[in-house]
Amino acid sequence: MMASHKRILVTGGTGLVGQGIRAVVEQDPRADEEFVFLSSKDADLTDRASTKAVFEKHQPTHVIHLAAKVGGLYGNMKANLQFFRINTAINDNVLSIAQETGVRKVVSCLSTCIFPDKTTYPIDESMIHNGPPHDSNYGYSYAKRMIDVMNKGFNQQHGTEFTAVVPTNVFGPHDNFNLEEGHVMPGLIHKVYKCKENKTPFIVWGTGSARRQFIYSKDLGRLFLWVLREYKETEPIILSVSEEDEISIKEAAEFVAKGFDFDGEFQYDRTRSDGQFKKTASNAKLRKYLPDFQFTPMEQAIRETCEWFTANYSTARI
Amino acid sequence: MENSVVLVTGGSGLVGKAIKYVVENGSGCKNEKWVFASSKDGDLTDRASTEAMFLKYKPTHVIHLAAKVGGLFGNLSANLEFLRKNLEINDNVLFMAHKTGVQHVVSCLSTCIFPDKTSYPINETMVHNGPPHDSNYGYSYAKRMIDILNRGYNREHGRNYTSIIPTNVFGPDDNFNVQEGHVLPGLIHKIYKAKEEGKPFTVWGTGKPRRQFIYSRDLARLIIWVLREYKETEPIILSVGEEDEVSIKEAAEQVAIAMEFKNGFIFDTEKSDGQYKKTADNAKLRKYLPDFKFTPFPIALKETCDWFVENYETARK
Repeated sequence: MMASHKRILVTGGTGLVGQGIRAVVEQDPRADEEFVFLSSKDADLTDRASTKAVFEKHQPTHVIHLAAKVGGLYGNMKANLQFFRINTAINDNVLSIAQETGVRKVVSCLSTCIFPDKTTYPIDESMIHNGPPHDSNYGYSYAKRMIDVMNKGFNQQHGTEFTAVVPTNVFGPHDNFNLEEGHVMPGLIHKVYKCKENKTPFIVWGTGSARRQFIYSKDLGRLFLWVLREYKETEPIILSVSEEDEISIKEAAEFVAKGFDFDGEFQYDRTRSDGQFKKTASNAKLRKYLPDFQFTPMEQAIRETCEWFTANYSTARI
Repeated sequence: MENSVVLVTGGSGLVGKAIKYVVENGSGCKNEKWVFASSKDGDLTDRASTEAMFLKYKPTHVIHLAAKVGGLFGNLSANLEFLRKNLEINDNVLFMAHKTGVQHVVSCLSTCIFPDKTSYPINETMVHNGPPHDSNYGYSYAKRMIDILNRGYNREHGRNYTSIIPTNVFGPDDNFNVQEGHVLPGLIHKIYKAKEEGKPFTVWGTGKPRRQFIYSRDLARLIIWVLREYKETEPIILSVGEEDEVSIKEAAEQVAIAMEFKNGFIFDTEKSDGQYKKTADNAKLRKYLPDFKFTPFPIALKETCDWFVENYETARK
């Protein structure tokens, strides 16, 4: 079984993380691994029959399950019910049909935003269910948490190896750079691009002192593949740089400016909220397994992303 | 309620039968039609079948009791099934209710879904404050998600979907199976057999642990009140107060009186007591209904034991 061929189905394969995995796989293919990257064009994963058909078509041995209904703060706040129900349907369909068609291993994707709202830091993998999530996206959060509950159930009942990863803030090519919906790094990138174009000052909201752990999608891709090939636990694993590699929003903004060779004016609008100062996630489990894993230096990863954005501006999601 | 049709899913179970009883004995209203559905009427894990049931009965109100349930050992080996089947049932019922314009749904949670590590007394705000006991995590999470769905439907669609949390329910039509059933029906069945065999009855443990029991017919009257009057999304615990907790020893003694069992008791103190107290706070209920009178425990138990003796042949055991 160890040496046999793997056909790996990647749901949500055209998104930020899917493209990160794809980039790694294309750079460093393995003879015993075949990847199929799915998008919503290939199947409606909220529909059981459609999901079954795509599994029967491709006959995967493994699944990387990234597909989800996602949205920014405002999208979630208005539609928690839909985010809960649609994601619950997708996850139940993918996991149960995977098990029924003989897939041994599924790696799903959780998120640090699903952790309890009231918590101590750093957060770690054992804390996911220790209290309610933030109210703004409770629907999405509970649906994602139920992946972990189902992984446990499938593994106990059917001897499968279903597990999940928890990335911190992912960024990279193919992200959603929409200023309303997107996350902080793509937002900074899009803003600096426009400020450079329009020769306007770049205004960073807040003091810039809040600190975050960012993970480059290509590094996440490499780690995802390691989890798929080697990680045996049911409990999820946080995939992130360490606390000492957190960067402040100010540092992130400065790297983005360098990434565009932006030498215009920088301002901090201190009337805007900083949000939480730190939300550190512990990567001790990852470091235990992979003490020597090297993350792409942040400045380089951001520069690559800025260059991609410039080259692909007309087709990027903005 | 004017011209209402109330659909009770899981209508043939312990709680459903109690609701039927109280509706037929004074709690029903003119212009109210009650439909007690069971698994014969439709498979609630199937969307089309659930839709057909709603289109057939056209309810204006729903009391949602149907669930895949089991005792400790049933749950331990099949948490996945308990999770998935109950998630499906609950999603189908609430979705169809919303789709067909039902404004009021009352679903049934359970004190067993609360966090395993918790302070006491437990109250309605604590449901999601930590993982449930590992033995029935599948059932527990599925039930917790009812509360999440209620929140979504109410905030986004203006519905009045809510839930209740009973403590230990007992009454006629219970499951008296000694392996699968709960503590009171288990005691009743065991004492019945000990009486038949002319033996003393062995109570497992010291008999000291204390529990809140609620008679199914009292629960039924309260559920009907919730359906008609309770407007919150947050669940409401339906239980006697802490002062009316009963020890296992007292419960066994009351059953013995009710069954006229005179062969005596033995306490097997080698066996585990389980948790000493798991008190649930009924302050919210008391705020709304300060004068609600629960049926006195000896009377409720006598009615239940009499029912069991009369219906022994057909009782679930």
